[in-house]
Amino acid sequence: MDHVASRRRFLGGLAAGLGAASGFGFSRFVTPAAAEQLRRDGKRMLVVWLAGGASQLETWDPKPKTETGGPFLSIETSVPGIRVSELLPRTARLMHHLTLVRGVNTKENDHGKGHYLMHTGRAQGPGASHPHLGSLAAKFLAPEACPLPGYVHITPGGGGRSGTEAAFLGPKYAALHLGNGRPPANTTRPGSINLAGDAARHDLRRRLDDRFAQRRRTAETEAYTSTYEQALQLMEKREIFDATKEPVRDQERYGSHDFGRHCLLARRLLEAGVTFVQVSHSNYDTHNENFSFHLEQVGEFDQGFSTLIDDLAARGLLRDTLVVVMSEFGRTPQINYLYGRDHWASAWSIALAGSGVKAGMAHGRTNAKGTEVTDGQVNAASLFHTYLKAVGLDPRDDYEVDGRAIQIADPAASAVAEVLA
Amino acid sequence: MPRPRGWSRWVLVGLAAFGLAKGRAGAQDTGALPLHERIDRLIEVGREGTLAAPAVDAEFLRRARLDLTGMIPEADEARAFLDDPSPYKRPKLVERLLAAPEFARRMEVVFDVMLMERRPDKSASSEPWQEFLRDAFARDVPYDELVRQVLRADGADPAHRGPARFVLDREGNPDALTRDVARLFLGRDLQCAQCHDHPNVDDYKQAHYQGLFAFFNRSYAIQDAQGRILAFAEKADGDVTFASVFKKKVKHATRPRILDGPELAEPTVAKGQEYRAYPADKVRAIPTYSRRDQLPARLTSGDVPEFSRTIANRLWAMMMGRGLVHPPDMDHGGNPPSHPELLALLTREFAAMKFDVKAFLRELALTRTYQRSSEPPPGASAEASAPEALAVAALKPMSPEQMAWALMQATGLLASTRKTVEHERLDVDPKFRALAAIDAKRKAFVDDLVERAIYERLKGNVRPFVSHFGGAPGQTQDGGQATVDQALFVANGQPIQGWLGPSGGNLTGRLAALNDASALAEELYLAVLTRRPTADEKAEVAGFLAGRDKDRAQAVGELAWALVASTEFRFNH
Repeated sequence: MDHVASRRRFLGGLAAGLGAASGFGFSRFVTPAAAEQLRRDGKRMLVVWLAGGASQLETWDPKPKTETGGPFLSIETSVPGIRVSELLPRTARLMHHLTLVRGVNTKENDHGKGHYLMHTGRAQGPGASHPHLGSLAAKFLAPEACPLPGYVHITPGGGGRSGTEAAFLGPKYAALHLGNGRPPANTTRPGSINLAGDAARHDLRRRLDDRFAQRRRTAETEAYTSTYEQALQLMEKREIFDATKEPVRDQERYGSHDFGRHCLLARRLLEAGVTFVQVSHSNYDTHNENFSFHLEQVGEFDQGFSTLIDDLAARGLLRDTLVVVMSEFGRTPQINYLYGRDHWASAWSIALAGSGVKAGMAHGRTNAKGTEVTDGQVNAASLFHTYLKAVGLDPRDDYEVDGRAIQIADPAASAVAEVLA
Repeated sequence: MPRPRGWSRWVLVGLAAFGLAKGRAGAQDTGALPLHERIDRLIEVGREGTLAAPAVDAEFLRRARLDLTGMIPEADEARAFLDDPSPYKRPKLVERLLAAPEFARRMEVVFDVMLMERRPDKSASSEPWQEFLRDAFARDVPYDELVRQVLRADGADPAHRGPARFVLDREGNPDALTRDVARLFLGRDLQCAQCHDHPNVDDYKQAHYQGLFAFFNRSYAIQDAQGRILAFAEKADGDVTFASVFKKKVKHATRPRILDGPELAEPTVAKGQEYRAYPADKVRAIPTYSRRDQLPARLTSGDVPEFSRTIANRLWAMMMGRGLVHPPDMDHGGNPPSHPELLALLTREFAAMKFDVKAFLRELALTRTYQRSSEPPPGASAEASAPEALAVAALKPMSPEQMAWALMQATGLLASTRKTVEHERLDVDPKFRALAAIDAKRKAFVDDLVERAIYERLKGNVRPFVSHFGGAPGQTQDGGQATVDQALFVANGQPIQGWLGPSGGNLTGRLAALNDASALAEELYLAVLTRRPTADEKAEVAGFLAGRDKDRAQAVGELAWALVASTEFRFNH
């Protein structure tokens, strides 16, 4: 016990030293005690990313029987006065857990730039890049010694790491992408090495490292050796990436489609203690056949998402987990000649639930045809402030990067107070 | 390990003679001494007792090999160096490494990463760019000339597509270019001075950003239908005016200007004569007077001390593990160099040696500072042993490329590839091998041919190391953060597991054929860690193999892996 405690103190001291030496530190970021409090609180985040730009009119802000409304009707929800598209029957029954933000105006109609804007709360400029929400969570909410990755992204496509999401926070806080829900690479022992051999080679590695460290121990050498211990722990926990270990009944409830499986995997990861999970559902970029496409796609979303919210609530996880459903933008109220809707950032919606936000309300509104925000307009930067506040982080704190102080969230914006609990 | 005492005195005498013999005599005082000696004196004055002991031969060999050729030596090479009794073997080694084709390759990687920061190939391909860099260092093109070539290239001439990657894969964006010219060539990140004077750095002015921007403000990118940048074009008009966002009413104007230097005097071009090629659809505009063309010559004119200072600091960081100014793109009054006089000396001397990178690195490699042990002296405080004190050699995490090539060397893949390549290229005609023996020039030619062929075969192996150990594209690449997926990659992934399987003359194949545990330990330690094992370590190896007769090949693979995964291997120490 003593050994563990002193080792921890030692590591703490080293970490401070490393921050100073590499020119990277956190000037007035939450005090160590406050940071510890946050970690103990176990705040988590779940982002459901509807890639390509989901239509607000076929989801959260329907305008039935208008020239822009399309063929679908709206339905009542569990909250009197709030109606959503009839494509969301299961989610509608859980509206008392959700908050809709219907006055989103992000003014950015480009996929790449909209993606950047919604993930970082800042407009993309040449030469500068900012950390994604998930990297922030991994940095500030995830327990330092936890072997699990802080930022896991379940994608419909490829896996691996690109490292770009963390920007100047460094690759440790970048997303681990689980391609089509597959477990991360290299988490099983090579076939040529048996259990005893694996233990033997790691033992020898530890002895070599201890000898080296007797005279040459730095924060970097310490960080390096600890990654091997974390790797071994992660290999032991490899099953948390395998949603087929969940009861068959649950697998059926989430749906037999990829998105359903990915939502079940998200539940499993959040329960296992992963701090930030993003599930991407692809692809909502419906320039043609918007309606038939949303009918199918939103159906999958409705099943997977509603089951996940239901479970998080039933298991007491929703209280400490901020849920965000968003896209790079919404879709045009005008229906084009291919029955499609095009990119539209000036009046669209996102949905929130869980930690730090109100439940059972809709904030902001658009006009009758959905062509303009008429009340409670918010932009991407103010939403980003809101997410951070909702999990107990102060968006006005600074990162200090190479001698520059950079406010965590865009200084020109502030949180949407109306939706914060 | 026994530490050879007294070698340093001998080497010093040798080195001094070496320096003088090369005729690098300066004007006054210490100027008569070679640069490496003047560097050391500036660092050592008043520091007696806190300096680390000289690095042992093994440590020096490994360090110099990694820094100058990007990989570790083979076991036999290490053995030969360690057993060489010559007091001059260190300067001789430095000369040999600087002359090797692997030096040009190493510098190609260093400058590629420094200038492109692992941006993906978008509009320009990496290959001609890397070939351009390798060729420049193989021919000892001075650094100022290299920069001129990079900044002049606009992508239009297919023959100069290589250097044009600098501009093309920054999207031909004037702001991105302004920022990176300031960061990479002037040591100043002026990003936050674009819209107002820098909020935290008094020395960084909006006028600095805008003055540099004025070199690029008339330039624009020409794209093809897929959005690939084909070339950089330029208009004949357009001026830079700016105002601070805090004082929007006070307008300023600037012509092209480097930091606090004078604004460029610009010629008046007669009306109707503005263009050599008028802008039109699918025509690349070429103005009679180009603002952008003025930058390369101005920047390297000798009137801009920041230019020499920045590269001197970056090359110092490459060798010593940390810049005298750190981070290298935050050079300003509030972040002074750890050794101001030393940086001033390096700035002057690098310009005086006409930006000869090889000559400069030679001097750094010959310093006692570079050749110090990475073990702090007993009882030294953490502060006295911090990297910026230069009293103890820094532990440098290997770059992704160094990791890949060091592993290919350690596991024997490089040697077996060399054998194949030499057989294919040189045994075609018996005269070829004899050719190399005629003189140094012919030998260099043959060495170069072989290095290129080996590189072509093995370069694909580097990619997974870059994706696991490299920084994010467009971000500073120095340092490197340890992550769990790196450890998983080393522990369980390919290609390392494959390289550790016994095959023919590779490392584990050789080891498995050795019955004597002590001989096995020596070969293993020399191949992976570039040193001989201690008695304890030999016993440890023997203990590991005891009782593993039935699966000896497995056991040998596990042993080799433990060394490969050790801190001692991971760091250049």
